[in-house]
Amino acid sequence: MSLFFQQVLNGLTLGSVYSLVALGLTLVYGILHIPNFSHGALFMAGAYAAFFASTALGANYWVALVFAAVVTAGIAVLSERLVFSRLRDKPPLHDMIAAIGLLLLIEAIAQAIWGADFHRLREPYPGIWQWLRINAGLVMPIQRGIIIAGAVVLMIALHLFLTRTTTGATIIAMAQNREGASLVGIDLTRVSMITFAISGALAAVAAVLFVPISLIFPAMGNLVILKAFVIIILGGMGSVPGAILGGMVIGLVESFGAFYVSTDMKDVIAFAALVLILSLRPEGLFPGYAR
Amino acid sequence: MLRCEGATLDYGSYRALDGVSVHVEAGELVVMLGANGAGKSSLFLAISGLRRLKAGAIRLGGRDLAGAKPSAIVEAGLVHCPEGRKLFPGMSVEKNLRLGAYVHRRDPARSEEILDEVFGMFPILREKRHDPAGSLSGGQQQMVAIGRALMGRPKVLLLDEPSLGLAPLVVKQVLEAVKAINAAGTTVLLAEQNAFAALQIADRAYVLENGRIVMEGEPATLLRDEGIRRAYIGA
Repeated sequence: MSLFFQQVLNGLTLGSVYSLVALGLTLVYGILHIPNFSHGALFMAGAYAAFFASTALGANYWVALVFAAVVTAGIAVLSERLVFSRLRDKPPLHDMIAAIGLLLLIEAIAQAIWGADFHRLREPYPGIWQWLRINAGLVMPIQRGIIIAGAVVLMIALHLFLTRTTTGATIIAMAQNREGASLVGIDLTRVSMITFAISGALAAVAAVLFVPISLIFPAMGNLVILKAFVIIILGGMGSVPGAILGGMVIGLVESFGAFYVSTDMKDVIAFAALVLILSLRPEGLFPGYAR
Repeated sequence: MLRCEGATLDYGSYRALDGVSVHVEAGELVVMLGANGAGKSSLFLAISGLRRLKAGAIRLGGRDLAGAKPSAIVEAGLVHCPEGRKLFPGMSVEKNLRLGAYVHRRDPARSEEILDEVFGMFPILREKRHDPAGSLSGGQQQMVAIGRALMGRPKVLLLDEPSLGLAPLVVKQVLEAVKAINAAGTTVLLAEQNAFAALQIADRAYVLENGRIVMEGEPATLLRDEGIRRAYIGA
């Protein structure tokens, strides 16, 4: 039984990271209808920004986290200003190609600066959670607890921001009716920039939470972004609760697949689950679940 | 108050507006008649800054609106209640209304008063304030749209086809609300296909056909005109 719960814990850890990445992706898609393939590069950029802050600047983990969020939000806003806002009236294919171009560009820049080697960000609190090991026989590295707690805190903060603040309301208004939002005097440029900033910051935080138990390398965002797309398709494109639940589903499927089937098969299983769920429910798991 | 001079708008090679000149004086209720595709909505979208004119000028109280952002135009006191309502369907009625006051977010006290006035004008909205706007009937959604526009504190209110698709009794109710809004001091430019009903409440009217103004006059004159009667009233 404890092996089962061990997988649940692992699944929630992975799911937390996926959910945070998918949230940013779904926000941008819901509001601007841009399938932002370069979102994976933001995830990677966040990891390198934190790596830079902690090695070159000697920042501690939490300072590095904030630094990465700010830098990556800046990169996301720049990409909106310089690329996506200029393609607003062009066919959707142009957004997609531009996004892939951006992905490759950001990846190439990271590789030029830091090389193709793997890097590590040290765990801020090494070790495992003793209480869980003694009382439940579960091995829970502290970093995994930080990932889950961090994701939950961010999700709650995002939810409160979107539903309780005027700026949050302008984001939802733009998602629900772009022209209506314009007519009440909402500045769509500003909302687009805020949305990209949030999506970049979420991707960066997800990366900085994740890399102490993983590795930093230029292509690290690729598989994550692919899975994030799987998640937002599963959850219903543009749906915030769908992104969270979809992320958890994929995280759990992966960790159970890795344990009960084979570690080598975990990505296969995640994508097989996508194909299966979509063939049964082409509209996603949460169709019409209002943003 | 509001003045368009030679407004010309192209969609690609299609000319939607061809030298349209109209003016609405302070306190007036002016009706813009015209069939589907005559250019009424194009004119309104151009006035509120959502479409860019090819030629001509639009002035609000002497201020040139050319190149102004939609948000700046709302702030200047020109609010557009669009055809098809363009509500935020997943948000509550109250939130829709409050977003109408977005440009006045630094003066929430006055917005509370206006919200109360809107609820006074449309009591059903107070009852349904927590329901998603998308769940309301067409007439009620139109009330939300008008209420949302009023929350923007318009000096000039553009109303695009508020009666479209509504039952006759509801049309009457909506047009009475428009008349009351005008009587309370708001200048109104109203686009309508429902000519007979609209002319009853208008001070003046224009007729738009194929992107051009073909007639202007008092409601009584237009109601007597044989061509108008045939085209818009069916009698």
